[in-house]
Parts: sequence; structure tokens; C-alpha cells
Amino acid sequence: MLSQEELERYSRQILINGFGEEGQTRLKKAKVFIAGAGGLGSVTATYLAAAGVGIIRVVDHDKVELSNLNRQILHRDEDIGKKKVDSAAKRLKGINPEVKIEAVAEKMSEANISKLVAGFDLIVDAMDNLPTRYLLNKTAIEKNIPFFHGAVNGFEGRAMTVIPGQTACLRCVYRGAVVEGSFPVVGVTPGVIGCIQATEVIKYLVGTGQLLGNRLLVYDGLNIKFTEFKVKRDPDCEHCGGLKDKS
Amino acid sequence: MSVKVNLHRSLASLTNGQTVVEVNGDTVGQCLEQLVSRFPRLKKRLFEKDDTLSRILEIYINGESAYPDELATAVKDGDELHTVVLIFGG
Repeated sequence: MLSQEELERYSRQILINGFGEEGQTRLKKAKVFIAGAGGLGSVTATYLAAAGVGIIRVVDHDKVELSNLNRQILHRDEDIGKKKVDSAAKRLKGINPEVKIEAVAEKMSEANISKLVAGFDLIVDAMDNLPTRYLLNKTAIEKNIPFFHGAVNGFEGRAMTVIPGQTACLRCVYRGAVVEGSFPVVGVTPGVIGCIQATEVIKYLVGTGQLLGNRLLVYDGLNIKFTEFKVKRDPDCEHCGGLKDKS
Repeated sequence: MSVKVNLHRSLASLTNGQTVVEVNGDTVGQCLEQLVSRFPRLKKRLFEKDDTLSRILEIYINGESAYPDELATAVKDGDELHTVVLIFGG
């Protein structure tokens, strides 16, 4: 049930055909896990909080650095040296006090990931490294949790949505070796990709539109060009190969 | 078979700035080998040391993934390949 204040706050999106009060109620009941409070995490968390997702858990063990501030829009100059999840929680509450924000300053690992994602409806992959992305993908598959992937480099980005047992997973597409190190990026790129991830999450929760399942969307910011590639489940995938096809 | 190869932007510095190159080949592997014959510095970026496809490269034929046997996958006249490099930043 939505309060009068909620009906007013979300009135413009409730007007959308296929959204309505029912869609808004679904958002309110949702529990979203966002892995990373960096460039992508800042954007997805901002828009999901504004849209009225009920509970958002943001997990990141890093502290804010000056070099983060060109793109990680939840953090400010005054936050340098503080935990990212704390500044993220503060800004998100400012955007929408109706949303419950859970700030978790833990490093995600094999040891704690199951506990961290337990009870959450979906996982947003806003990480900055492949090992944790693979860990999240594997966990999402094992626990049958939809997984919303995004990645950026420079002016380029990509996004894909994984519905376990129905679509290709991250490991079906990324078979690559682990690449470490700093990556180049301008803030507008996670702005675009983070918005696409948030759009996918909202669509999934509301139950409208067509998701980026089995579709890898590649964004070329230098030419403002989107290219879509068809991907498919790998029967021998080390993460999802053993899952029965539910599509 | 004439095939148009769209190279990822990060490879353009190895192809005199070209991001689209026409090659001839019956398989993806033959197309990539011809690319390397014209632009030898591409070899390290397209292939692993054992001549398998680079682990951070994805190949799409007419917009569809060529995984898992990319190099052996047949191509036909007029096909379009995309080479996409794995990215991981957030």
C-alpha cells in the first residue's frame, strides 16, 4: 500500500503505461543488492533510490579518494578518506528518505558473499574488477538471483542482464583471464551504463519491457553508437552449464 | 570469401588507425590470420602464445557470438565480424 506522500513522490512514473501503482508497490517491496559504490554503483543507486526501491544494500570496502570524484557522483570532496558506503548512504537518504539504505563496508569474498546477498531479489554488478564480478555471477547463478551487469572503460561501456537458467550468464560471455589494474574512464560513461542497469532493474521489478537477456549491449560514447550482440548460454559454462534450461 | 572485420577501437593503433578492414577467408581463424599478415603487431592482441584466440577477445559474426569454436567457425561472403575486447571497469 502506498502512502499519499508516496503517490505524489512517484506520480510521474506511476503515470507510465504498464507501471502504475502496482509497479510502484513492487519497487517498494524490492530488496536490491548493489555491489560497488563507485562509478556505476553511484548512478544505479541514485536512480533506484529515486524510483522508490524499498531496500538498497550497497557493499563496498573502499574509502573515497580524490581520483574517484570525476565519476563517482555519490561522493563529494568533503568525503575523501571516508568509507564510500557512508557517503553513499548519506546522499541516497537525501534523495529519498523513504528508501532503506544498508551500507556494508565489507570486501566481498567467497567466504561472505552468500551471507551478503541472502534475501535480496537481485544483484547489480557495479564492480571494478573481474574476480569479484565472476564471484557475484557465480553466486547469482547458484542462488537463482537475477544479475544486472555493467562495465566501462574510457568512453566505452556494456550492459547485460542475466536471468539464471534462462539467459547467458557473465561467464558464458566473459571467459577472459583476470585483468588487474587501473582503468581509464570519464564520468559520463558510467553515467550512461549505470542508467541502463537501473532501467533494467526497474523493468524487471515492475514487470514491463524487454530485458537485455541474451543481448550484450555495447556503447561507444565517442560515436554515440549502441551495438547489440546476441549471446547464448554455453552448455559447458563453469557457472551456469549445469542449470536446467528454464527459458 | 570477402569479410568485413570491425576492429575494437583499442586495436586501431596497430592498424594505422583503421577500424574496418576487408579480408578474405573461409573461417574466422583465416580472416584473423590475414589481418595479422597485413598488420603483424595485431598478433599479440588477437592470439594467445599457443595461437588460440585471445582470452580477452570476443568474436561476433553478423552480431551473433561465435563462441565456443570461434576460429574454426565458417564465414561466408559478405559476413561482418566484430572483435570486442573485454572491459572490466566500474
